[in-house]
Amino acid sequence: MPDTVIDTYQEQMQELQGSLPGWDGARSNALDRLRTIGLPTTRGEDWRYSDIKAIRNTAFGLMKTPARNPQVPEALCDVAARLVFINGRYHEGLSDLGDLWQAASVRPLANHLMANAERVSEMRQGGDGINLLNTALMRDGFVISIPAGIEIDDPIEIVHLTSDADSTSAHIRHLVEMGEGASATVLERFVGDDTAYWSNSMLQARITEGATLNHVRLQEEGANATHTATAMVSVGAGGNYHATNISLGGSLARFEARVRLLVDEANATVDGVALAGTGESHDMLVHIDHRMPNTTSDQIFRTVADARGKSSFQGKVTVATDAQHVNADQSFKALLLDRTAEANAKPELEIFADDVKCSHGATVGELDEKAMFYLTSRGIDPTTARQMLVEAFTDDAFDRTGNDTLADGIRARVADWMLNHTGGSND
Amino acid sequence: MAGTQETHDQVAEITGDYKYGFVTDVDMEMAPKGLSEDIVRFISAKKEEPEWLLDWRLKAYRAWLKMEEPDWAKVNYPKIDYDDIYYYAAPKSQDKPKSLDEVDPELLRTYEKLGIPLAEQEVLAGVEGARKVAVDAVFDSVSVATTFREELKKAGVIFMSISEAVHEYPELVQKYLGTVVPQRDNYFAALNCAVFSDGTFVYIPKGVRCPMELSTYFRINAENTGQFERTLIVADEGSYVSYLEGCTAPMRDENQLHAAVVELVALDDAEIKYSTVQNWYPGDKDGKGGIYNFVTKRALCKGKNSKVSWTQVETGSAVTWKYPSCVLAGENSVGEFYSVAVTNNLQQADTGTKMIHMAPGTRSTIISKGISAGRSQNSYRGLVKVLSGAENVRNYTQCDSLLVSSESGAHTVPYIEVKNPTAQIEHEATTSKISEDQLFYCRARGLDEEEAVAMIVNGFCKEVMQHLPMEFAVEAQKLLGISLEGSVG
Repeated sequence: MPDTVIDTYQEQMQELQGSLPGWDGARSNALDRLRTIGLPTTRGEDWRYSDIKAIRNTAFGLMKTPARNPQVPEALCDVAARLVFINGRYHEGLSDLGDLWQAASVRPLANHLMANAERVSEMRQGGDGINLLNTALMRDGFVISIPAGIEIDDPIEIVHLTSDADSTSAHIRHLVEMGEGASATVLERFVGDDTAYWSNSMLQARITEGATLNHVRLQEEGANATHTATAMVSVGAGGNYHATNISLGGSLARFEARVRLLVDEANATVDGVALAGTGESHDMLVHIDHRMPNTTSDQIFRTVADARGKSSFQGKVTVATDAQHVNADQSFKALLLDRTAEANAKPELEIFADDVKCSHGATVGELDEKAMFYLTSRGIDPTTARQMLVEAFTDDAFDRTGNDTLADGIRARVADWMLNHTGGSND
Repeated sequence: MAGTQETHDQVAEITGDYKYGFVTDVDMEMAPKGLSEDIVRFISAKKEEPEWLLDWRLKAYRAWLKMEEPDWAKVNYPKIDYDDIYYYAAPKSQDKPKSLDEVDPELLRTYEKLGIPLAEQEVLAGVEGARKVAVDAVFDSVSVATTFREELKKAGVIFMSISEAVHEYPELVQKYLGTVVPQRDNYFAALNCAVFSDGTFVYIPKGVRCPMELSTYFRINAENTGQFERTLIVADEGSYVSYLEGCTAPMRDENQLHAAVVELVALDDAEIKYSTVQNWYPGDKDGKGGIYNFVTKRALCKGKNSKVSWTQVETGSAVTWKYPSCVLAGENSVGEFYSVAVTNNLQQADTGTKMIHMAPGTRSTIISKGISAGRSQNSYRGLVKVLSGAENVRNYTQCDSLLVSSESGAHTVPYIEVKNPTAQIEHEATTSKISEDQLFYCRARGLDEEEAVAMIVNGFCKEVMQHLPMEFAVEAQKLLGISLEGSVG
């Protein structure tokens, strides 16, 4: 990446000095490292299916508060609390913590770091260029800490809104801590207008013994947006991490989930649906690292791509030496709706223990003509038929959101998407 | 259990050691160590090559100088000093043996030890009805003997060493050499293009079904040498050939480099079946010595309805880096890849295939079986790619890994890249260990653990083994048992 771009980020970093207590050192280290390694290119394995040339060669400005607050989308289900971020900054007035504060600790990142200077070291500071820039330029985020034994039924919703943000970027970091036996659902939503912005977020979660975190992401960024997001998760004994990523918006969208199963019986399920509209590129990368025996994981991914759309998936499962009795499954299916659509998959297994059961399956194809014929011969018009088939195709991946109303809300979103993307150029 | 007993005897006979680890004492003629333009010129001059071939080599050499050794494979080995290798080693003998009688008897004894029936009469004197196999034997850098030439010639089949073919059929060689694996293809292929010493050339004319199986036997003998052979097989319209390849090397403490290139071209309605049993010296129990096997094998299914089928059994080499591939450029052409890779002790194998679907109606099948024992690392790496103009492509891929020891690793890295919606791509992979239930079942019926494992492993590989020609299948099955010797318990 050009030096001028780094220099611009250097200036932005200086502007942010002191904004997060104890974080300035991490910022400048990250930027130094970025200067050496640069932002990822398609030559690197992890980014081979996402070409972020546009980001690499231009310096994005720091996102500014818009003149007018954008419309906050309606909740998809009852929520325990709603945290609203506008152009990368927490907006207290639009947020509603409900009764959540009585049961759990929920506070902005700056307050957390102010009160717990020693916790800085627990925050991820390294990683690839995208992660480094998040470290160098992060300004806001939330820390959600659910105490031992507490179960929060309704999702905690975090809404990220972006508007009037041409050529600017926001770098957000959330931390989620699940005490022993605690359970909660964190629903992250991303909504934006048509300006060409870049949203780069990271969520770090620590799931301790017996705790469960449902992490649902509904990504509906604007049509010209670039969306990069990373989830860094560690799971303790008997803990569960369930992620469901729904990728609907943006011109280039990428979600990376890196999950470490650190103690016996830790479990992770990472599911996802990506609907790549005209000319869009959606990329999902999952790495599940089975460090200990008796850990389990499962992944279900379904992607659909329309004209010039590209859906990509890299799913890696590693099993460490002596991590016996590991079960790991993975299923990836891609549907291509148009002649110019593209699907890429790289389901990878890296196994160093012998008493394991690991498998993956991957398929790529188009809608089943017979099924289409069957439906249309029963009087269903082709558009509806196609919509039904795509819904059925993606449905497997919504089963583990942990909330039926939420799952239905997501299904409705997928159905809406299908109304606008029926593999048009073929008809 | 005659078969098992036989395997067992064989294992006992050689007590798990590498059977082919002897050295043959023959006078060698060698070029000085190291690589330079002069060496390339030397090799070319030694072979009295035409100007175009020298230029072709030099172009490759210059490209190689600018290239970097690939590091993406899951293999680790100390840096190779390319200046510490002999690039040309030839047994000193008459200029060109006119018949087998003129070949150094020491060499013939080597092949006899290896069980290669070089002398035609041996085959003819064999069991009545036994299948004939024509053999081209490559000893270090040069082809020493090609059998059954006359009979093949009658059918119009050209089967000879590539250096002879350069002289006898220059227009054919020039037309196809480097068309499938060009000089700049990759680091090891470029090196091979610059210094390839010998190899096999096969041409099957239009409509001819090759009357016998063709076979090349490669042997590295000299110390500190690299072997860089090049195979080129062209199957003209409507022809068929089955080609077998085997390889061995002596046991030595230092590592030796083997960087071969195999190019296959199948024209309209032609079919090539290429089978390999790779048994280079794998190094000892502590990973000392062994062959570095960096091979580029690629087939171009150029014509419509053409078919190429790769079958490989990989048991040898310290490091294997090998991806026999098919470029499916002809309409309705078919690519197949059947592979068994066994690694034991400290062996590392990174192998797989690429199926590039360029034309409509093309189909491919990939069946890969990896078995890891000892402290070895075994990776499948593959690519299935469908280009946008290729309608109605089908692919089925299955890669299974079997772990025999708790210290070994099994890895699967498949890439699927599809740019046409009419493609139907299926991929399945599993990794597991030998099931306790199966072991218990076998043992309850009186098999000892080693026999039981050999039986289960053979069952695991059956889908691949059945694609090997008869003679090879028997040998390969034995090899599996031998390779896994000492890995159980």
